[in-house]
Amino acid sequence: MTAGDVVDRIKKNIGVAWRDTTYRDTYKSGGPETPVTGIATTMFNSFDVVERSVAAGLNMILPHETTFWNDRDDVTVVNADALYREKRDYLAAHNVVIFRMHDHLHDQRPDFTYAGSARELGLDPAREIPPGSHRFTIPETTLEALAADVQRRAGIRALRVVGDPKARVSRIQLGVGYATPAANAPDVDVVISGEQQEVDGVLDAPEYVTDAAALRLRRGWIMLGHNVSEEAGMLELAHWIGSLVPEVPVRLIKSGEPFWSPE
Amino acid sequence: MRDGVEAESRSEVAVSGLSRREFVRLGTVGAAAVPFVLEAGTRAAAPTAQVVEDRIRQNVGVEWNPATIDTFKAGDPSAVVTGIVTTSLATIDVMRRAIRAGANLIITSGPTFYSRADTSTLTGRRGAPPAPPDPVLTAKHDFIVENRLIVWRFSDHWRARTPDPFAEGVVNALGWAKYRSNGDPRRITVPAITIEALARNVKAELNARGGVRVVGKPMARVQRIAVLPGTIPIQTTLAVLADVDVLIAGEIREWESSEYVRDLVHAGRNKALILLGRSLSEEPGMNGCAVWLKEIVSEAPVRWIPAGDPYWRPTI
Repeated sequence: MTAGDVVDRIKKNIGVAWRDTTYRDTYKSGGPETPVTGIATTMFNSFDVVERSVAAGLNMILPHETTFWNDRDDVTVVNADALYREKRDYLAAHNVVIFRMHDHLHDQRPDFTYAGSARELGLDPAREIPPGSHRFTIPETTLEALAADVQRRAGIRALRVVGDPKARVSRIQLGVGYATPAANAPDVDVVISGEQQEVDGVLDAPEYVTDAAALRLRRGWIMLGHNVSEEAGMLELAHWIGSLVPEVPVRLIKSGEPFWSPE
Repeated sequence: MRDGVEAESRSEVAVSGLSRREFVRLGTVGAAAVPFVLEAGTRAAAPTAQVVEDRIRQNVGVEWNPATIDTFKAGDPSAVVTGIVTTSLATIDVMRRAIRAGANLIITSGPTFYSRADTSTLTGRRGAPPAPPDPVLTAKHDFIVENRLIVWRFSDHWRARTPDPFAEGVVNALGWAKYRSNGDPRRITVPAITIEALARNVKAELNARGGVRVVGKPMARVQRIAVLPGTIPIQTTLAVLADVDVLIAGEIREWESSEYVRDLVHAGRNKALILLGRSLSEEPGMNGCAVWLKEIVSEAPVRWIPAGDPYWRPTI
């Protein structure tokens, strides 16, 4: 079993045409010839995840996000950095092969990032209307109670919320990662997502939702952080990869939320 | 996914600006603040908003960029200024407080209409049909018109000054002016302090609610601090953290700097990242802006009204 065999099975079974133009879904360390002892899925390919994968005997890592701290994993951005060389050398020394699963993971149906988040947050697929819209109607509650529930379920230390805590809400639009939906959709009360540029974007949600609250319109914005918003679905990814590659162990190794908040 | 989110909207809620009664009520609530109109009696004839902009351009000490976003966003530049309010974000709440204080010119470092384009109607993607009116955006625009406010953005040129006024604002707000060594507020060396205590102080002194986020070991002791308000790319983080312990920044991308610092900490380096949020990080610098404006606009009162931390966290 080589990394190339694993990638071939992914390409054959993912259900969408493989786009060779992707700069994301490529090898970031090692290559197709590398023999595979086991596979880890993860969100961010942190140094900690790499070490824990190696310790667990899993030398192939399928991260959804970056390894070298920039979207293209362009090593010319980081090659003067001592930590980059340390991480690169560790990967080489332990024969770790990294293949990023980003663009095609989002192309696949279901998109595991949404499916995993909905599962983790307790959003029932039967209430997703229309199917595949990532819109869920829940029994009416307050923004504060909803945020507290989200914080508890996902175990988030640095959740950020905008809007009137007492606003009554029931219509949720789920987003993931940086694909945060617009805060002003007319039939949505609350956006729950990962990350968005705060200012100078196309529709700056923090200011928009703050103003909507000042006008007493029901609006809320709950930011999980990029890692938390997509990591749950890496469990679904691990299960799917496990079904494709029964010859080796496949496991989710969580990178976990990087942030904490002061009291 | 990195796709930009298309601005879309539909008018479904009609929201008017403040009613006369609400305006009067707000006026009494705000009685503790000295109304600008009372102070203004002793001053020389007040300038127009356009004259204020002209004076800023003449005095800012930075060559004016013709393609700048530092322009009027709403209101009549030829109107006489009754008072000036500076802020990091011209929210409706800030505008209500400005009206209560008798000011009609808002100078903001952030956008007013929720986008860099800062137009009072939303623009869809290029080639897409124009977006229908948005209730919040329409209400805000109407509110500005009805209350004869003028909004002017001051971002590009204010941040281009030396020393960095946004860093200076944060440093002053944190009581660190005495620790400035070489005059640059972006580099500060403080007596050794744990990350946890530092983050708590930052949160308290900036009146943050839920917006402060930290990557790093709470009990690690640090001294050398970089202060970079605004939004920074990974290249800046790589360069800065080479010779400081802690980077205090406004905003980063979460597939970049926060992951780099997570890895640094894991590899045993004594480093940390404290994120304030972009708007909160620029708030103290707009306080400094009010102080500076007083020097060049003596005929009208100038006051800083902070928009505050937009984020909160549930208490469970």
